[in-house]
Amino acid sequence: MSTVQHPVEVDHVTKTFRRHHDRATSLKQFVAGGRRRTYDEFVALDDVSFNVRRGEVFGVVGHNGSGKSTMLKIMAGILHPNKGEVRVHERMSALLELGAGFHPELSGRENVFLNAALLGMTRKEITARYDEIVDFSGLDDDFLDTPVKTYSSGMYVRLAFSIAINVEPELLIIDEILAVGDIDFQRKCTERFLEFRNAGRTTVLVTHDMNSVRTMCDRAVWLDHGKLRGTGEPGEIVDGYTESMTGSTDRVAKLGSYREGSGELQFTAARMLVDGEPRRSLRTGDDLVLELELTATSPIDDPAVSVTVMTASGLMLSEPCTRDADIVLGRVDDRRALTVRLPDLALLPGEYQVHCTVSDARRHHIFDRVHSAVTFDVMAGTPLEQFGTVSLRPQWTVE
Amino acid sequence: MSLRSAAAHRNLLYLLSLRELRTRYKRSLLGWAWSLLNPLVQLGIFSVIFLYVFEQNPPVGDPSGLQSFALYFLVGFIPFNFFSISIGASIGAVQGGASLIKKVAFPHEHLVLSVIAAQFVTLMIELAVVVVALLIAGNMVLPWLPVVFLVLVLLAIFSTGVALLLAAGNAFFNDVSYLWTIASQLLFYSTPIIWNPETVGNPVLTQVASWGPTGAFVMALQELLYDLQMPSALRLLQLAVYAGVSFAFGAWAFNKLSPRFAEEL
Repeated sequence: MSTVQHPVEVDHVTKTFRRHHDRATSLKQFVAGGRRRTYDEFVALDDVSFNVRRGEVFGVVGHNGSGKSTMLKIMAGILHPNKGEVRVHERMSALLELGAGFHPELSGRENVFLNAALLGMTRKEITARYDEIVDFSGLDDDFLDTPVKTYSSGMYVRLAFSIAINVEPELLIIDEILAVGDIDFQRKCTERFLEFRNAGRTTVLVTHDMNSVRTMCDRAVWLDHGKLRGTGEPGEIVDGYTESMTGSTDRVAKLGSYREGSGELQFTAARMLVDGEPRRSLRTGDDLVLELELTATSPIDDPAVSVTVMTASGLMLSEPCTRDADIVLGRVDDRRALTVRLPDLALLPGEYQVHCTVSDARRHHIFDRVHSAVTFDVMAGTPLEQFGTVSLRPQWTVE
Repeated sequence: MSLRSAAAHRNLLYLLSLRELRTRYKRSLLGWAWSLLNPLVQLGIFSVIFLYVFEQNPPVGDPSGLQSFALYFLVGFIPFNFFSISIGASIGAVQGGASLIKKVAFPHEHLVLSVIAAQFVTLMIELAVVVVALLIAGNMVLPWLPVVFLVLVLLAIFSTGVALLLAAGNAFFNDVSYLWTIASQLLFYSTPIIWNPETVGNPVLTQVASWGPTGAFVMALQELLYDLQMPSALRLLQLAVYAGVSFAFGAWAFNKLSPRFAEEL
């Protein structure tokens, strides 16, 4: 009996769903159709095994349809596997949807009690935590006595989240819901979440946000079409996952969908090269080369070309321009190719986009601007930093 | 989910029942009066048909001597209505709980049990009104109330079994709810509520009434409240067996089927 008992043990779990072509949804059809019902077996999870260790934040990544939601629902006890089993050894609270049990006609107060009971709390526990729940939600007392159907969606979600996070489980299962409410409320949620983690409690987190997997998780599992592709350190898992997602799709030379400008000069190609190869992803510290091609519909003298490097959320990071580097393009009357090299990339893991602009010499008149001409992912490289967008190449000294 | 987990979640059951009761008549003008209005309207309709269209004499209570169609009707109709509404609402509760069932793990039988509990409270209120009416009419029913309560508890257990079975079945085949409305009609007319087996005198109908699942309960209650006599031991045994078998089978079927609710609903 020397083996450690993990809070969650997923043991050779297989889950199949039946996809009916012509499902008998009524008794009449069932009786009339006899045994001629046809269906496919759809394998959502195929012999998946892993353990979640006590006190860790465990990420589950995978594309849509990879089986991660099914996995979560099995852990939460909502679905049951066809083969194998999931053993959960701790008091668990699964937050798959906020306010799932809210009744619109009941008041906020009544819904707090009902929802907390659904999440497994006794009346004593709820009474003890009631004030804290209300406090955390930031709702006025008046509102707690009115039916929740009169709430704004923000209030609704805040109340639901306060209940969920104040249930005090040993094991929390979360599906993409940390981003609720305004900035203040989000910060409170993150704080509470960190408290939870620091108290040595266990979390299983499913998210599409690779940055939060990198920054919050201790370990991660990668599911692909119901199969386990890997378990381990989140950076490696996310890199593997991102590479598999982007390696196959050929978006390299395709120009962005939104463009503006008068059109005398136009970008006809824009792509990213790493080590001479067109790529969609690279690592911190790699040399990034952008290869651009301009085509003129009427001759233009001395245009200026710039590339705007932005985060996925639209924050401008840098805008290198031929003008600033005293590069003169001369008269462009046909095609002109140019490249810009950004050596030793300072960007930290995340998703980025590049706008390309060609304008007159003084950069007042825009001939062509292509939004998101190039998008790329940065994966963990050197230097490795956990938070932030760019590495400022820190050099520490300790006395 | 097992009965043990149901016990562990009894707080949830209590709150769900409270929700049933609170939301049923929220935002309605008459509020709780609605729960009395339905029996009264039914009473009005059937009184006209019974007393004026078919010109029947109301049955005479033996040994109470009471002769009132209204009271005879209410004594049978109210428990039947409890049974019928409980099952219809239970089917709806599991179907309407689909979003909950798909997102939260909890004992699904609480959706049914809370409906039964809430309906039982309504039944008690309606019964209290009928008891007052019976007392005014001169029927001293008070000594019989403990037995009445026992019969009603057996009826509730019986109803729970049927409700669990049909609510589970409806998750897989959604015309169970339509079939139920038809079956409920059949049961209503086969139960001696608007007719009396003795005055009709047809031996087949008497057997149907006496052995029919709701007929047995209603006849026991008529004996207690209308006639003021103790039902036979055999009758009480029959009710206990009906309740036991129904509950055991319903609970078995529900436990077997409920793990698949999240996929099927």
